Amino acid sequence: MHSLFRLPVARRRKHTSVVLAGLALLLLTAVLPRAEAQQKLLRISAIPDQKPETLNRLYPLLANELSRSLGVQVKYVPVTDYTAAVSAFRRGDLDLVWFGALTGVQARLQKPGAKVIAQRDIDVSFQSFFIANTASGIKPLRNQKGLTALKGKRFTFGSESSTSGRLMPQFYLAEAGVRLGHFAGGAPGFSNSHDATIALVQSGAYQAGVVNEEVWQSRLSSGKTDPKKVIVIWRTPGYANYHWLAQPNLDQRFGKGFTARIESTFVKMRASNPRQAQILDLFGAKRFIPAPQRQYDAIEKVGREIGKIR
Amino acid sequence: MTTTAWSWRPAAPLLPLLPALALLPLLLVLPGLVHGGGWDLVAQFAAAAMTPSLNPLLLRTAIAGLGITVGIALLGWALSLALGLVGGVLSSRIVWRTCLGVAWPAGAIRRFLAVPRSIHELLWGLLLLQLLGLKPAVAMLAIAIPYAALVARVVSDLLDALPTAPLQALRSSGAPAGAALLTALGPALLPGAFSYGGYRLECALRSATLLGVFGLGGLGTELRLSLQSLQFHELWTGLWLLLAVMLSLEALLRALRHRWGMPSRFKLTTAGVGRSGRELLLALLGLLPVLVLVAVALEISPAQLLAWQPLPPLQANWPAVLALPWAALAATTLGLTLLAACLAVGVAPLLLLLVAPWPWGRLLLRAVWAMGRLWPPPLTALLLLFVLKPGVITAALALAFHNLGVLGRLLLEACEDTADQPGSGGAEVALSCSGCGPRLALLYGRFSGLARSYLAYGAYRADVILRETVVVGLVGAAGLGSLLLEALSSFAVDELIALIAVYALLTLLGEDLSDRVRQRLLSG
Repeated sequence: MHSLFRLPVARRRKHTSVVLAGLALLLLTAVLPRAEAQQKLLRISAIPDQKPETLNRLYPLLANELSRSLGVQVKYVPVTDYTAAVSAFRRGDLDLVWFGALTGVQARLQKPGAKVIAQRDIDVSFQSFFIANTASGIKPLRNQKGLTALKGKRFTFGSESSTSGRLMPQFYLAEAGVRLGHFAGGAPGFSNSHDATIALVQSGAYQAGVVNEEVWQSRLSSGKTDPKKVIVIWRTPGYANYHWLAQPNLDQRFGKGFTARIESTFVKMRASNPRQAQILDLFGAKRFIPAPQRQYDAIEKVGREIGKIR
Repeated sequence: MTTTAWSWRPAAPLLPLLPALALLPLLLVLPGLVHGGGWDLVAQFAAAAMTPSLNPLLLRTAIAGLGITVGIALLGWALSLALGLVGGVLSSRIVWRTCLGVAWPAGAIRRFLAVPRSIHELLWGLLLLQLLGLKPAVAMLAIAIPYAALVARVVSDLLDALPTAPLQALRSSGAPAGAALLTALGPALLPGAFSYGGYRLECALRSATLLGVFGLGGLGTELRLSLQSLQFHELWTGLWLLLAVMLSLEALLRALRHRWGMPSRFKLTTAGVGRSGRELLLALLGLLPVLVLVAVALEISPAQLLAWQPLPPLQANWPAVLALPWAALAATTLGLTLLAACLAVGVAPLLLLLVAPWPWGRLLLRAVWAMGRLWPPPLTALLLLFVLKPGVITAALALAFHNLGVLGRLLLEACEDTADQPGSGGAEVALSCSGCGPRLALLYGRFSGLARSYLAYGAYRADVILRETVVVGLVGAAGLGSLLLEALSSFAVDELIALIAVYALLTLLGEDLSDRVRQRLLSG
């Protein structure tokens, strides 16, 4: 039995080396032309913060539109994790990314020279809404100081690095003297999405939470949220949020003025054009506008205070 | 050890039920945890199972995602087996003793391999993402590295548990060390190693899905998108597809194991390789071109694995890192692990006993356990939060349900496998023929034989659960896991390094403990 067992092993080694050699060749030929083609391929991505189920629809449309306007191949790369998207941008695996304010700053700090391209009209002054379960007894707050009513309550943020679902709310909480350790259980929850935050506060798992205004309004008007069970208790002041961020080297790779052409493609989108209307609608925007980089200085400062930016 | 010293011990068949004692305190605190406000959401989720979305675009993305997930699982698994076999031989005491006459290098290598093993594949994924970029190769390696270390541990355990008589006979008749080892241990090792290897493929499928849930592509990514927006109909489209693949894979592996006469997974020792060795090698050879095709389809190439980029600069603030409440975090994590492990290990045999009298009971359990394996723990955690308050216990329940799905199926399979083998199912039949009820017959006839190996396997599983605590940060206050997700999203490299060290330390201690428990169980 032993010899029976060993013979095929010996034979297999020869076979494997032949197969492996063939393989190596095959892989080489498969890889080389692709590396060249990559030069002219614009890879775009986005961190889904709302309506993620429409991304499948949204990004092929956008990729087509960009491709038509810029004259290069555009590929949408799906990424669902904030950390993964920032890392991929630092690595240069993504050329143009739709970031939240905080993740955009994180990405810019890790990739100096990256350019802020454009934002939506609503991103200039974005708001977060603190919400509460009606059974929790928390009443709408008169002012920011009222946030102390959340001490000792079960409270959830959205994603760890969401600007509207975590960063700015935590900043306003801290200003009112509420630290993360003050919540019931000694820590807040992280629901990972605005929809989950609303569902968890409505169910009562968490007595209060915080969501971005856009998702709240949309869920309220679609009837997904029950206004008898969950109410808005406080609205934050406005802050700058989502924006498109581009790699610093796009002009070198795609030709002079390429970055500026991306910006003008976005800024020139109009609802009168049916294709562009679809894109604007899916982004929840009336139009895109230029985004001055300095409006994120405040975000960076808050990020450092809270420890999300090191 | 004398008999009197052991007289306090419960009878063998009761052993697997002991961890279920954790249910008692749990039942006491559970009513206080229920808020019950989200039953309508749970009902929506359940109802959506019957009406998954059949949108062609969604179906197409889900199927493409499933292809990526399966491909990643297959490649990661194959690589982990190859590396794990090498690592296993290198960390086997008997191999070192035979070749060099000393056994300590085996222990040292084994300890060293605990480090890659102690890091969850999700963490490997996010770390490798920094080095290699956003590619399917990252997910493949993220599975291959910790799995290889796990396989190495099991292979070395298998090797060291093999009877040494044939080896000694060969050595004393003058055979050189290498040849003697290969001849005496190689064939004997194969069945156990392949049985375990097949099981790792099932695990790899679950891991590949989970990696996707955390952003590394494939079907998991689709699941996460649907979960985030609570689109339960779309979620079920992906879940049903995944279930179909998961169950087919399990059935296929089971059929192969039967065909090739391999032991169930709990057995750590076994007899010879049988006449199927040639067939097995042919199957392995057939697998190679498949792997190549998958690699080409996923655009994974060896060149990618070498294209490293430097990590972001390390800005360390060690005093701040040291000031974190490590003891409390570790205690929470260990408590979470222990509770989840006890529930998963203890409840599986308990449920089997409960449903023993009813023929449909096992079918029902099978279905529930399949869901446990199918649902990524973050999904289970979210469902639990719809009706329970957040906290360590809710997190433990989510982890326990997932692992119950894994353990329950293994236990049921082991019960049925022993029933298939002539002569070994006799005790249960004899008991029921002599008038015992089905529960007692199962308890004394079947569990007594499986008790020790099942618990020994449960000890392995506890290590897995410790690492999985990373994925239930959703429910808040979940110890090291929550801190880890926070550190990752802040790019706090110093905290990450410290956390990985703590996880490695806990895993080392846990493995040491579970080694002792296992040796005691298997020898006792």
